[in-house]
Amino acid sequence: MTNKEIYVLSAKQISIQQPLSEEWMNNPTLYEPAFYRSIDPSFKEYVSPIEARRMGKILKRALATSKEALKASGLETVDAIVTGTGYGCIENTEFFLDALSKEGEQLLKPTYFMQSTHNTISSLIAIQTKNHGYNATYAHKGISFDSALYDAYLQFRLNKISSALVGGHDEMTETFYQILKKGGVIGFDNEICGEAAVSVVLSDKQENALCKLSGHKIIHQQGIESLKEKVAKFLQGNGKTCSDIDFILTGISGYKENDEAYMLETKALFGDRPLLKYKNLFGDSFTASGIGFYVAAQCLKSGFVPRNMFVNEKDITDKKPDNFLIFNRSDGTNYSLTLLEK
Amino acid sequence: MDELIYKLKQEIIEALNLEDMTPEDIDENASLFGEGLGLDSIDALELIVLMEKNYGIKLQDPNQGKEIFKSVKVMAEFIQQNRTK
Repeated sequence: MTNKEIYVLSAKQISIQQPLSEEWMNNPTLYEPAFYRSIDPSFKEYVSPIEARRMGKILKRALATSKEALKASGLETVDAIVTGTGYGCIENTEFFLDALSKEGEQLLKPTYFMQSTHNTISSLIAIQTKNHGYNATYAHKGISFDSALYDAYLQFRLNKISSALVGGHDEMTETFYQILKKGGVIGFDNEICGEAAVSVVLSDKQENALCKLSGHKIIHQQGIESLKEKVAKFLQGNGKTCSDIDFILTGISGYKENDEAYMLETKALFGDRPLLKYKNLFGDSFTASGIGFYVAAQCLKSGFVPRNMFVNEKDITDKKPDNFLIFNRSDGTNYSLTLLEK
Repeated sequence: MDELIYKLKQEIIEALNLEDMTPEDIDENASLFGEGLGLDSIDALELIVLMEKNYGIKLQDPNQGKEIFKSVKVMAEFIQQNRTK
């Protein structure tokens, strides 16, 4: 393993906030707890209507965020394209299954079938950006983006790549939302549910970077004591102690059970370090941790943290952040730690 | 016939997911494949499904498609002559 430094050159999002914009930092769109679809930009400037006919919303969003992230990074191409998605092209899967149940097997539309798989996202981005490098898609529910990031992170550290486009993309339909809600997977009381597309460009070159990706780790929990040990080791490995961390960015969402678990665990792991949230602005989704990454990177670049991100009023400060530790908790079994620094 | 042509354009836009296009953007005399609208063999399958589902027309010979899908106008004429619903 090398100590090759990794910088975040750009980060772009399409979500329930204004798309491809950082307007949420000063003028966020506020939502009541419910499910909302993303606010889409016009896709015409990223792909022609004829090319777009084979793309579901998730693919168009992935393409738009990827192209914008590449443009902002100043890189024409990257060594690797790695994507995370919880459920992939779920809308076309739903169209296909709906047609199957209504029409039988005789009149099925081929396009819905073709676009109902997960791995079309990374490959589409590669085709559209004429990239022949490493290409992979991870589908691990709430740690999908984290897994894609981990792949890129390790490849940087192993000196295999110098740049990467890492994405997290998830779409949600009203029907699928209702099914998951009934199954107790998402859509809990007091929780905003959204969709998210995030693309970030990583490079070993620092010029014009938003911030530095200092560390990233995925942990499968074996109890709080084991988690404590792994968090301490992670911080130590990055030359930090708990008190060096400015802000802990959590997945606190408004859902009581989730938030109580976050409060309990962050208290045990990080003591009284200031806690931040972002799901109150962007909603929850399987790609929410990707949004967390984007939010932290933009806060580090702009030098301020919007007040509505603070979990506790006592922590509100105008202090310019030097670092963020993103603490993502998925299903109470999988965790990820991501350290971003100025 | 004009009414059918317009309806067919709407159905093609929906079936082929041409979200940002309107019926006015499609020239009824232009070739659907190749240089015209630029459709391909997968779109041909979608159009076969469309004709069967919406007009009850089942194409027995795939080679027929070459003639029928020449343009929206030709397709509309074929539908008018052969529709069962």
